[in-house]
Amino acid sequence: MEKVLVVDAHKCTGCRLCEQVCSVMHEGSVNPHRARLKIMKWEIEGEVLPMVCRQCDDPPCRDICPMGAIDKNDDTGLVQVDYDKCIGCRMCVSACPFGAMDYDVVGKKVMKCDLCGGDPQCVAFCDPAAIRFENKAKDSSNARRAAAEAARAVQSEKDR
Amino acid sequence: MTTSKERSSLQERAKQRTTGAFRCLSCFKRLSPPKGATHYTCPQCNYEWRVAWFTPEEPRIRGPVWDSYEQLTQDRMKGGK
Amino acid sequence: MSLSRKIAFVDLTTGKIETKPISKELRRKFLGGRGLDMYLLYKHTKPGVDPLGPDNVALISAGLLVGTLASASSRTHVGGKSPLTGYVGSANVGGFFGPEMRLAGFDHLVIRGKAEKPVYLYLHDDEIEIRDAEHLWGTDTRDVQDLIRQELADDDIQSLCIGQAGENLVKYACIRTSIKNAAGRTGIGAIWGSKNLKAVAAKGMRDIGIAQPKEALAYNKEIINQVTSAKVSKTMQKLGTPFIWGVTNSTGLVRTRNFQLNQLVNADDIEPESIEEDLVGTAGCFACQVHCRGKYFIKEGPYKGTYDEGPEYTSQGAFGAEVGCTSKNTVLVCNHLVNYYGMDNLETGSMISWAMELFEKGILTLEDTGGLDLTWGNDETVIELVHKIAKREGIGDILADSPLEAAARIGKDSERYLVHVKGMSNLHSDERPTPALALNIAVSSRGSDHLRGRPAIDLYHLPEKVLRQIYSNPIPYDGPLTSDYRDYEGKPWQVMWQEHLYSTVDCLGICKYHTVFLGPNMPAYEEWANLIRLNTGLELTPEEIYRAGERGYTLERLFNIREGMTREDDKLVDRYHDEPTPLGLPVVRGRFIDRDKFKIMVDEYYAHHEWDENGVPTREKLEALSLNTLDKSGSEPSNLV
Ligand code: SF4
Ligand code: SF4
Ligand code: SF4
Ligand SMILES: [Zn+2]
Repeated sequence: MEKVLVVDAHKCTGCRLCEQVCSVMHEGSVNPHRARLKIMKWEIEGEVLPMVCRQCDDPPCRDICPMGAIDKNDDTGLVQVDYDKCIGCRMCVSACPFGAMDYDVVGKKVMKCDLCGGDPQCVAFCDPAAIRFENKAKDSSNARRAAAEAARAVQSEKDR
Repeated sequence: MTTSKERSSLQERAKQRTTGAFRCLSCFKRLSPPKGATHYTCPQCNYEWRVAWFTPEEPRIRGPVWDSYEQLTQDRMKGGK
Repeated sequence: MSLSRKIAFVDLTTGKIETKPISKELRRKFLGGRGLDMYLLYKHTKPGVDPLGPDNVALISAGLLVGTLASASSRTHVGGKSPLTGYVGSANVGGFFGPEMRLAGFDHLVIRGKAEKPVYLYLHDDEIEIRDAEHLWGTDTRDVQDLIRQELADDDIQSLCIGQAGENLVKYACIRTSIKNAAGRTGIGAIWGSKNLKAVAAKGMRDIGIAQPKEALAYNKEIINQVTSAKVSKTMQKLGTPFIWGVTNSTGLVRTRNFQLNQLVNADDIEPESIEEDLVGTAGCFACQVHCRGKYFIKEGPYKGTYDEGPEYTSQGAFGAEVGCTSKNTVLVCNHLVNYYGMDNLETGSMISWAMELFEKGILTLEDTGGLDLTWGNDETVIELVHKIAKREGIGDILADSPLEAAARIGKDSERYLVHVKGMSNLHSDERPTPALALNIAVSSRGSDHLRGRPAIDLYHLPEKVLRQIYSNPIPYDGPLTSDYRDYEGKPWQVMWQEHLYSTVDCLGICKYHTVFLGPNMPAYEEWANLIRLNTGLELTPEEIYRAGERGYTLERLFNIREGMTREDDKLVDRYHDEPTPLGLPVVRGRFIDRDKFKIMVDEYYAHHEWDENGVPTREKLEALSLNTLDKSGSEPSNLV
């Protein structure tokens, strides 16, 4: 079963530890601009939203690549870049609807989430569990359960 | 890599942590109220505390029960304690 | 590598900017952050410098571990000579600015002179631009940050800024960043205002290299687990710092109605659990898993719907107990307003509560207050006074000055009702039953201050064995230590130990809640030695790190002495000695600080520091800390930058 990053924005505290550990994991340096995910903020309204690669079923980043350097693994669902083929044209960066394909100005290469080879560090470090590593199906079942529980509470309140 | 020696003192201290209890603010006895309790009276000094749970397992004192607090204190002070 | 960051000297009068590297020697001696700031303050100001004149400096720094894998490595330090006290000006702030400043290539800024017109600095790619800020002057602390992001078309920019309070030279104006982070104390915001400096913005893309990335990741995980598994962290994740109220107000350790009572009775509305009902979540500073900042929307009144963060424990006291208010809404609104205008909540509340006592005593009348009724617990008046202070309107103009200046302006015995040390107001904690905490505020280097040496864990009734494990590390100590917070024994050592600990923490640029402050089982010197080695490659022993913290603290003492401080200033106001506590539990009721025992504590405290009976560091001590390479005047430490 494909596992992906699942985001629960309500739990996110905006601390950006995930950006920090992601950049260290991949580049050996702290540099949020080299992290494979980004925490978006609307400070004055107090809102945050972690933006991660969706590992799309039909990835536009792959489709647009003129060199065929990006493919999606059939087993894991991971969308990955083959740097031997990549020419750094950044077409994939323009094509990704989420800004999850990014350009690393220091390393001079495109970069995207590689799920840390199966042990996502952003997930490991996020104490409030705002980012989780879960089966794709869980994404909806979690939301469904939360909504159902809310509805049930209202229901039993009425029944009383 | 960090050796076990390097981590020693912190972990040593952490072992002394207690759970499910708080100290009575009046007599410092360690109290373990029943899970979910909202009030608890210290068996040693009789102060009644309003209790809150910051996790399902961890209680803390939210505040005094003001009505009995002042009376108890005045009695105690008269007793010269 | 993280150690390649520079010091920039910015002259706002001439527009000249110079950068210098930071030598390894300086690093080993002072680490960075607050300690190195202190060195720069000492060296780059002349004795007696006017705090609001062009020759004072505005210092900004990122600590040694800022941005690195060190759990809450977020902290920025700011400084200068304080316009509030005339002594050390120094304040610490979380948020995201520190890491961004390092990413832009800088660790320290020394800003001097005065710009002709309002300006802001923009740090990026190892460069500093001085930019026009005339259009930003007059804006509040959140708008200005937003406007800078818009102007430079970059969402990633982080800024330090002042609000209207700093522009108006409110003597306790603060520096702010993000929605609620404040470098609150000692009035650094007024220094910026005096220099026409509205903000310092940063955006950086330079790597902060990690010496041993894999090991640092693994070790950081361990440290974070250690921190988050502590009870105190779990409490703060839910309630924020207001959690402290449960202990202090229930016991009777909260100064109420200025200094008349030591408990706010029947104030259930401002209890932490009640405040928590209004929180929509919590926010964390950079790389922090304690995330103690509450997020809330104001629910009623003219500010309904406004978003802000907090409130801190300090606001419960400043806009609750001290002024005799028991309304959560008042606490949340005032918390928002001081954030908005950019001034210290603690000092603001203290000045208002002092004015209220003067009003009660008839020293201030309706005529003086412009018709404002300063009766205890008058919520509207408190809110109105916050506005008036920030704008220096009416009575607010007097209250916007430092406590001692304001008392001089009002006269009539008003000084007697100030609750301060060295001209800086006390937190709303009532230290009469707790000699350790009382000593801490009396001797602190920046005036009354719980964040420079408070042995807060003294309140926890910890067994002596645990206290010994904590307080004899890394320097052996076999003197007395007692679990009873009412004792005088052994407390001077605890105060000194905490002073060095907090000094070190501020040099490292990590958050105090991730160290031995509110929790006993938190990281300290041993762990920092590992963190420093794995992150920066510097090999320092726990003792060397301790000495670096001590060196910085000693330098603060030297600076204060240079600016005229004597043993006489290490004191509490008379009320601590003369008025016993009227409320609280039997353990704290009827308590006061005994004058003779207090004097013995101060003597012991000096002795532990190896300072003489006047509180002056001995020559031997200065030699041991290699602060002895004095110049001809005999007053300046070694010349390293
Ligand atoms: S580590 Fe978790 S809480 Fe922090 S910013 Fe990332 S997703 Fe949000
Ligand atoms: S980089 Fe963008 S387009 Fe490609 S898989 Fe990720 S989210 Fe989809
Ligand atoms: S899974 Fe790994 S690569 Fe992907 S965002 Fe998280 S830390 Fe970065
Ligand atoms: Zn008891």
